Amino acid sequence: MAYTQRETPVLAELCTFLVEDIYGELAARVYSILARYGRQTLAAVARASYLSGRQIKYGLVILLQQHLVFHSGNDAPTTYYEIDWQNSYAIVRFGKVTKLVEDRFGRKAANVMTNLLALGHTRIADLKEAYFPTATESDDDSDDGTANGTGSKRKRANGAQVNGAATRKNGVPAELSDAKPDSAVVANGDGMTNGDHKPSKANGVTHNAAPDHAVQEQGADEITSVDELYDLIELLIKRGWVRTVNETQYMSPGDMHDMFQQEAIEQDNNGATPTGTKDRDLVHRGIIDRKRAMRDEWLKVPRFARTGRPNSSNKRVKMNGANGWAASSAPSSDDDLVIRVNPEKIAVAMRTEQLVHLVEQRLGYLTARIYQTMLRMLESNIPRCWDEWPEPSLPGGEPGAENGIDPHFLVTARDVATKLSREMDIFEGLDPNAVVQITRKGHVHRTNILSQPIDPSRLSLDEKTMVVDKHIQLLSEDPLHFVTWHSRAGFSQWHIEFEEIAKQMIQTEVENTISSRKGSLGVKLIRTLRKKGKLDERAACNTMMMSANDIRGIVNDLTIQGFVQTQEIPKVDRREAKHSLHLVWYDRQRAREKLLHDTYKGMVRILQRIAYERGKVQPTLEKAERSDVVGKEEQYLSKGEVDTLKKWKEVQEKLLLQLFREDDLVATLRDFHGPLISV
Amino acid sequence: MASAVAPPPVLKQEEAAVEPSANDAISPADALYDKCAERPQGHTFFQRDLSNMQVAETMAELTMILQELCDRHLLKLMTFEGDPCWKLRSRADAEKLRRLTPDERLLYHHIDQVQAEGIWSKALRARTNVTQQTLTKCLKSLESKDLVQSVMSVKFPNRKMYLLKHLKPSEDIAGGPWQSEGDFDVALINTISGIIAQHVENETCIRVPGNWNDYELAVMHKKEEVRDIEEAPAVKPYRPSRDPNTSRLLHKHNPQYPTAASVADWLNSKEILKGKFVREDDMEQLLEMMVLDDRLEKISGTNYRTVLRAADTKAYNGFVDAPCGNCPVFDLCGNEGEISARTCVYFGQWLETTSEEV
Repeated sequence: MAYTQRETPVLAELCTFLVEDIYGELAARVYSILARYGRQTLAAVARASYLSGRQIKYGLVILLQQHLVFHSGNDAPTTYYEIDWQNSYAIVRFGKVTKLVEDRFGRKAANVMTNLLALGHTRIADLKEAYFPTATESDDDSDDGTANGTGSKRKRANGAQVNGAATRKNGVPAELSDAKPDSAVVANGDGMTNGDHKPSKANGVTHNAAPDHAVQEQGADEITSVDELYDLIELLIKRGWVRTVNETQYMSPGDMHDMFQQEAIEQDNNGATPTGTKDRDLVHRGIIDRKRAMRDEWLKVPRFARTGRPNSSNKRVKMNGANGWAASSAPSSDDDLVIRVNPEKIAVAMRTEQLVHLVEQRLGYLTARIYQTMLRMLESNIPRCWDEWPEPSLPGGEPGAENGIDPHFLVTARDVATKLSREMDIFEGLDPNAVVQITRKGHVHRTNILSQPIDPSRLSLDEKTMVVDKHIQLLSEDPLHFVTWHSRAGFSQWHIEFEEIAKQMIQTEVENTISSRKGSLGVKLIRTLRKKGKLDERAACNTMMMSANDIRGIVNDLTIQGFVQTQEIPKVDRREAKHSLHLVWYDRQRAREKLLHDTYKGMVRILQRIAYERGKVQPTLEKAERSDVVGKEEQYLSKGEVDTLKKWKEVQEKLLLQLFREDDLVATLRDFHGPLISV
Repeated sequence: MASAVAPPPVLKQEEAAVEPSANDAISPADALYDKCAERPQGHTFFQRDLSNMQVAETMAELTMILQELCDRHLLKLMTFEGDPCWKLRSRADAEKLRRLTPDERLLYHHIDQVQAEGIWSKALRARTNVTQQTLTKCLKSLESKDLVQSVMSVKFPNRKMYLLKHLKPSEDIAGGPWQSEGDFDVALINTISGIIAQHVENETCIRVPGNWNDYELAVMHKKEEVRDIEEAPAVKPYRPSRDPNTSRLLHKHNPQYPTAASVADWLNSKEILKGKFVREDDMEQLLEMMVLDDRLEKISGTNYRTVLRAADTKAYNGFVDAPCGNCPVFDLCGNEGEISARTCVYFGQWLETTSEEV
């Protein structure tokens, strides 16, 4: 079959849908070419599509701005473009990110975050400009007003580099530079579409891309001063939610590897291609070290020139700053900093949420709140869920740094007790006997009722710490071992073994899926195989304590679904089936990949269904969106039309909610743990 | 008593056995047999016991009588620590044995030797050297005469094990207390695991009523005297139910976690399983199975406790709660065609909207 006719891999399909939904058709068409053909040059993209060169450039600029596409460095003679799948998929999380930030840093920070998501990477000055538009209309090309303001300013940012060296600090390769102004318009225009496609009902926060709108809408949560905005940005960077952008982030993993390999060979191995095991190991180590150094560089908190006083950096006038804006207010060198959302941190926060949810299901509301407090305290010290480039173990065996845990990853019961809101009934979910043991007041009746009720809000800090410790003990006793004891500091000090828990979470999701499809028998089989490894029928029967007839059906079903594998080992030369061993086994990694793949497909179907449902009500929607109808719906719309719209809203909401839940599943399966070693 | 091992049979004498004439009112042999029969069943007689019965006048006569009884299959000769000893057979059994063909008798003897462990038919053939046809024929006839029984081995499901009819198969071939007739007794397992689950729950959990710590009520009682409305309790973000009729099952504080050994003891002391003794290994097998079944969970080594679920509603995950997760035609579903998101009946039902007709 011709390559172009091949069925599109599910993830590519899903991402193309997402891109089309948010960034419009043009971007999606360019994107889908890259998705189908893989790494391409500009010329090759043009050959593979019916778009004009100019259109392709516009499309690419949108994609680059949003970090959906990698491109090879400037040094190479031709620039290659390649899709960044992780970031592309992350589009589905926009609403979730806003919610996560809001829970942690409040609505104002969430607002900043929303804008950063909508704009892609952004210069701080542009963000500021979006919130506090300058009054001067004498800008070089500010005729397009505030709605498109950010976009046009971004272009100016391109020309306004500190050293004036690169014309593409924004990451747009030189060959696309002529496309910039218009692309900005397109990007912003699509931001509007974004606003109406996904008003993010689930989260109650708009995706609105036009910042000035957002500011007006959220009057109460308005960011009132430039300083406040800067503080928020600084906070987000410090906590690792936002990172600075530099050129290396545009390199595809392959390019990056080649570059570092070259560098490692030159510097560590004197330029000779490594041949022996030792040399190879040295170079490998060098590559990984460099990758990690680069990654840490991205997360480094820049030194903010501004010291909290406005105008303090007034002297730092841009050397070659653009004409209009430099004089408008108090620009600082921070203004040139380009920032974007750090996707790795989003996964960390999602892990927190899901763990809390899991604990709530297993141990109850209050224990979950305590776990949440612990996790959030640790969160700012955890840059990512798992390390793609871990320190390779030394040839001697165990690495030396194993003996101690970084105190950043420890949390004490006292810390939690101090942080916990007084409003919580912290006795909930505890055995009354445990409570009495701590408070030493009264006793427990035979009906398990306290003889002297105790108001939990009147406990001393010591008592509170002890109560919290009881909850934490529940967490540690659970078979999932949500926390692990570390020392006696601060009454009791704990750390969390995320790796083990993440594996268990994957397992739980696989079991959930099977449980829903095949009931408890299927789950029992999977657990048996996971515990015992490869089993023949008899051994499986023995462990499950069931007869072979009852098991055969389920083994068959799960094999067809791809969760269980079978194997036949001949015992005699003639390979007679009668004389062969028939083994069944379960491979967590395979089940994980299969489920992940299916989930992607399920998401595609949901997006397709949304499109279909929208198509059905399109005429009514169009009517309702007409400028003369908006606000006077009752006057212009018939009752039938109103009902149709209401139904459509419900349907869309239900589908989107399910989409976000499937995304949670994707996060569990894909983002919380690296690839598992088979069996 | 150590297991008594019978000496190899004296075939010639058995073949030459002649029906004794019963012309006397009662022969000394029968007298001895009757005396022995007065003892409890399964008693083992040594030479000293028999001579003490004072049936035979001399040692020689006793030997004669014993020889006669053995020939008539009323006694079974065995040895214990080198000394000969005898066991009684019922007259009916003896009668059956007398009617056996020599081949049958040979097989019977070998089956008798292994006692409750049973013997595989192939092993039997190897020991006796009879042909396959004879073996099959004889075993059939022995079974039809109610002298031996065949049992499917649990360890080797395709092996037929033979043992004497009146014996209970040993655990090696019949399995532990959870098995009957070579297969797991599902009804028994379900009942027992239910009982054990309840027992473990009693040991590790505590049921707490909603009003266990009703401090607000207590405060209100006090307040009534003071009548201070201003100090109304702050609005809580989350309020557990204070209703005394609701209750929650919680993990007990510092419980004695049951282990396989303790549960086995408990079950044996309750004598729920009549006539069966549950060993620790059997119990561990059952408890581990219950862990797989998600009824118990294992914590720290050998301790078990009940699995508690704080949330009542069971939500699976985003994928299977949507129609696609359980769709029977998921793998056939495409972007276009007869089965697609547009034509999907399951989406239609779920969303209560109409789908495109195919």
